[in-house]
Amino acid sequence: MTPPPAVSVAELMQPASSPADSQANRDLLSVMDNPGIGYWALLGLCVLVVHVAGAVWVYQVYEGLGVAGYAHPIFWGVYIVTFVFWVGIAHAGTLISAILYLFRSKWRNAINRSAEAMTVFAVLTAAQFLGIHVGRIWKSYFILPYPNQRGLWVNFKSPLVWDTFAISTYATTSILFLYVGLIPDLAIARDRTKGWRKILYTALALGWQGTSRQWKAHNRTVLHLSGLATPLVLSVHSVVSWDFAMSIVPGWHATIFAPYFVAGAIFSGFAMVLTVMIPVRRIFGLERYITDYHFDNMAKFILLTSLIVGYSYGTEYFIAWYSGVEPEKTSFWYRAFGPYWISAWIMIICNAFVPQILWFKKARLHLPTLFTVSVLVNVGMWFERYVIIITGLSREFDPAAWNVYTPEAPELAILAGSFAFFGMFFLIFLKLFPVVAVAEVKEIVIHEKEHKGEFWEHAHGYGETH
Amino acid sequence: MPTLVGVFAQPKDLGDVAEKLRTRGFTDLEIYSPVPSDELDVALDPGPSKVRYFTLIGGLVGAVTGYAMAVLMSEDWPLIVGGKPISSYAPYTVISFELTILFGVLMTVLGVFLVGGLPYGKFGKTDVAYDPRFSAEDFGLVVRCKERDVAEIDALLRAARAMEVSLVEA
Repeated sequence: MTPPPAVSVAELMQPASSPADSQANRDLLSVMDNPGIGYWALLGLCVLVVHVAGAVWVYQVYEGLGVAGYAHPIFWGVYIVTFVFWVGIAHAGTLISAILYLFRSKWRNAINRSAEAMTVFAVLTAAQFLGIHVGRIWKSYFILPYPNQRGLWVNFKSPLVWDTFAISTYATTSILFLYVGLIPDLAIARDRTKGWRKILYTALALGWQGTSRQWKAHNRTVLHLSGLATPLVLSVHSVVSWDFAMSIVPGWHATIFAPYFVAGAIFSGFAMVLTVMIPVRRIFGLERYITDYHFDNMAKFILLTSLIVGYSYGTEYFIAWYSGVEPEKTSFWYRAFGPYWISAWIMIICNAFVPQILWFKKARLHLPTLFTVSVLVNVGMWFERYVIIITGLSREFDPAAWNVYTPEAPELAILAGSFAFFGMFFLIFLKLFPVVAVAEVKEIVIHEKEHKGEFWEHAHGYGETH
Repeated sequence: MPTLVGVFAQPKDLGDVAEKLRTRGFTDLEIYSPVPSDELDVALDPGPSKVRYFTLIGGLVGAVTGYAMAVLMSEDWPLIVGGKPISSYAPYTVISFELTILFGVLMTVLGVFLVGGLPYGKFGKTDVAYDPRFSAEDFGLVVRCKERDVAEIDALLRAARAMEVSLVEA
């Protein structure tokens, strides 16, 4: 072939073609557009409640922890209950992102981003409670091993120190996992926005262009982060459970605690993903991407983990009876028929019985039912932690010191504040970042195109073929 | 240096023509892809990604750091309980495990930056061959070549079902 003269090279130059776009980009980025009055009202409500809770917390710092309902020997109350609750919620994100990634479950693509974001916000919410719980917030950094003039170090045999390491590792990992996954989507947003958004996404996308070098490193990183996050997610709630199980308090001192807590965490986490994503899908019209198939799969997960949790409840009672240890037997009798019987039965009914309705496909696909179940599971899981912590402590060792604890208004205000705190971050995230992983959804779209199938025609079952 | 960009709808077509170009000695290639793709990952750079070494080193350093920190700090301030040994490996394994993960994750993220060349380019500037359609659904193959090879590459790209071929730099 003869080389062309320089003139014809110049003729070959064409003006840049008009940017083509894909429907997935348009649909998924449009979630970030035009927040309506409802959005602002909800965000405003969340911010307001966070501020009220903040004011209550300042009052508590000023007055001391006496404003909480603590009654000797019960010094772990709603704050620790809520801490464990939010750590549990944080587990679904990593499960969906990391474990389902390793299992190559393609259906996770549509929900992993929102679940990862929920993980980050739930961990941040949970972390607040460590500071709130210790009361003297200005001393909370004592839990970290840092060089100091007293030559003191932390006690590495204490589960509370393990917890610090586990939670901070989990927070770091989940933030980085979320961010690394976001980079390609930030580039998509960068190419399609103007003004301050463009500046923000340009900065955060780090010059991502989807070159093969970038993708190769990115793919490998997501795989490795999944590989690291999978044992981490199992360890975090195990460590949280050891905060209790390493003691000798009747009702806490059980080897079943670690798997029981992990299953409960996944259970509550999936329920929270459903509680949030059912309205989000409806409000933003994402039915094409987050299909009934996804909700069906999540409902199956909830059913499975509900069975594990229900089985654990049974095992706890069986072992209490079978051990023949009097304090254990008394403790579990007291749990179901003592002053906290309402909490105990809420926990058993919401967690072990209500989800059984999900055996029926009709229930799994009926969104109002699914939504109700998911809310009840969240309620039940909060009460599970309440029952474990409070009934354990209120009949601790010395009968002369037994007591009954009732949460006080400041604790309930801060509990409400935690939901608002979580909601506030999630609402901001919805409008600032793509809530569905665009690049990963497009992977399926392009794959379908390649195999002649038209994605949009059978979008409702796209997960099923993979 | 003349730079040609071929736009493809299918990653497979792009992978094939990239292979063909490489065997013909045109090695200054770049691929833009909207989605991760196993075949494009190895099209220009066969072999496993180097991110793995970052993870490995991070994990090992974390494991050692976890034990070392717990042992050295407890020996420095002995808390003797019931006359038992000061350092106890079972609980310190928890610390070591968490730091294995933490350091592994931090090094892996450092790995994606260094191996993937991020952050890339000047702020707000993308490559001249880059186009927003490569963050939509199209795949781009960039070939930098000598002026006399332009026509040949142009023909090769078109023969490989490129939807369009343009010369972005003469």
